[in-house]
Amino acid sequence: MSASLPSPYEAPDLYDLALEGFQDDFGFWLDESRRAAPAPGRPGRVLEVSCGTGRILLRLRANGIDAEGVDLSAPMLSRLEAKAKARGLAVHVYRADMRDFTTEQRYHRVFIPFNGFAHCETVEDQLRCLQCCREHLEPGGALVVDMSYPGHEYWLDVRTERILEAESPHSESGGTTRMYDTRTKDRVAQLQHSIIEIEELDERGKPTRSHRFETRQRWVYRYELELLFRLAGFSRWEILGGWDRRPLETDAGQMVGFAWKAG
Amino acid sequence: MAYTSAYLDPALYDVIYGRGADGKPVRAALDDVAFYVDLARRQGNPVLEVACGTGRVLLPTLEAGIEIHGIDLEDGMLERLRAKAQARDLHPKVFRGDMRDFTLPARYRLATIPFRSFLHMESTEDQIRALRCIREHLEPGGVLALNVFYPSVDFMAANDGVRKLTIQTTHPDTGLPVEVYDTSRYQRAQQRLSVERLVLVTNPGGAPASMIEYGFTLRWIYRFEMELLLRAAGFSRFDFHGGFTGDPLTSDREEMVVMARRD
Repeated sequence: MSASLPSPYEAPDLYDLALEGFQDDFGFWLDESRRAAPAPGRPGRVLEVSCGTGRILLRLRANGIDAEGVDLSAPMLSRLEAKAKARGLAVHVYRADMRDFTTEQRYHRVFIPFNGFAHCETVEDQLRCLQCCREHLEPGGALVVDMSYPGHEYWLDVRTERILEAESPHSESGGTTRMYDTRTKDRVAQLQHSIIEIEELDERGKPTRSHRFETRQRWVYRYELELLFRLAGFSRWEILGGWDRRPLETDAGQMVGFAWKAG
Repeated sequence: MAYTSAYLDPALYDVIYGRGADGKPVRAALDDVAFYVDLARRQGNPVLEVACGTGRVLLPTLEAGIEIHGIDLEDGMLERLRAKAQARDLHPKVFRGDMRDFTLPARYRLATIPFRSFLHMESTEDQIRALRCIREHLEPGGVLALNVFYPSVDFMAANDGVRKLTIQTTHPDTGLPVEVYDTSRYQRAQQRLSVERLVLVTNPGGAPASMIEYGFTLRWIYRFEMELLLRAAGFSRFDFHGGFTGDPLTSDREEMVVMARRD
């Protein structure tokens, strides 16, 4: 699929302006990183797949977590490394495809946060990615995948105009950054095509610059995710419904899937 | 009168899933006989129909000169099938069996699960067991064909918790109206549909209508989930169609028709 607009990952500075402030999921990833410890006093190793500019990974590092990252986008990783340097953090990242990566380590947890798994658009892509993650786990380790659930309200929303997705203060100009999404959805293919617009506004709310990107996301249902875990060779799995570890009882929120490698 | 299952009154089953006064099936999803008979002709003998019920598809297939065997979990449904066959001078081979765990001596060119019966498999384990068991009964190169409703977002939104007139037909014996009212409830994250059904059978001579009540639950399946189930059961080639005309599956308002081949 050839996109006519660039990927949002070609503009990591704008990506960060729009999304760096998002923190709702961080407590969960930090907690899960601490649970990765194989024994008391022995911290676990963590790998974040689709780590991007390090929104999560750098904060994990700042909290003393032994975490590394994988991402496909060189611009995103460059920005991550620049941020790490500015914050005085040492971090090891690999530029690689989530379907086919190799690192030197084996990990107690592999994370795919923030809909990163939605970049696997086919069953083959999904299975290759999960198998690759599994290979990088220590025995008894867990893969944790966080996805938005493709629920009823989501599919019923067939608005064709742009929707405000995120708004945050512009750290440099004193104005605001707004991220809009214009969505086309295919219910059977479980696909969303997005035109993303990132608008920079000055302190009086006047748009000064606008940038357009294009991306796609492939959604996954809960039993489907269980079957993917099964086919990728995991020995057991559990699907939760949020970063607070609630059970998945409604289709209106998050889906957090855990899959364990046999110990 | 109240039943615990639709299958405990096979005569009533035939009335509501039979043909209307115009001779046509009462629902589009029931307009499948020509599809399954043609498929049997092309794919070859013998054929196994799983969940054959009272023979709505099996008997016309036999009449077309095709060797077809059937299994069903419900003795009462099979008894009615045999009685109908006798009246038409047909000699069916049908067996009581659970689709998750049955053993027949023959191996088949084609196995079918018409009219959404696969949705009686309410867990992933049951689904995979049934598909594996059926696959073991296929010859190499044999085909499994089944159809299920696609979980339409708009249909669910319009029907959830609302009593609706879903079937209007006439009783073949009396020529008088029979009406089916369904109250459907959707547990969306669990992919479970629960139906409370009321059947009103108009009686002759102005006598009060007979009221029959029963309920059933179905576990719906998404397209990729179905593909993963087939893979988990050992099938490696599959096709998905929307409706019985061979068109691709593109809309969530269509019947999902699934074909899988044993290598």
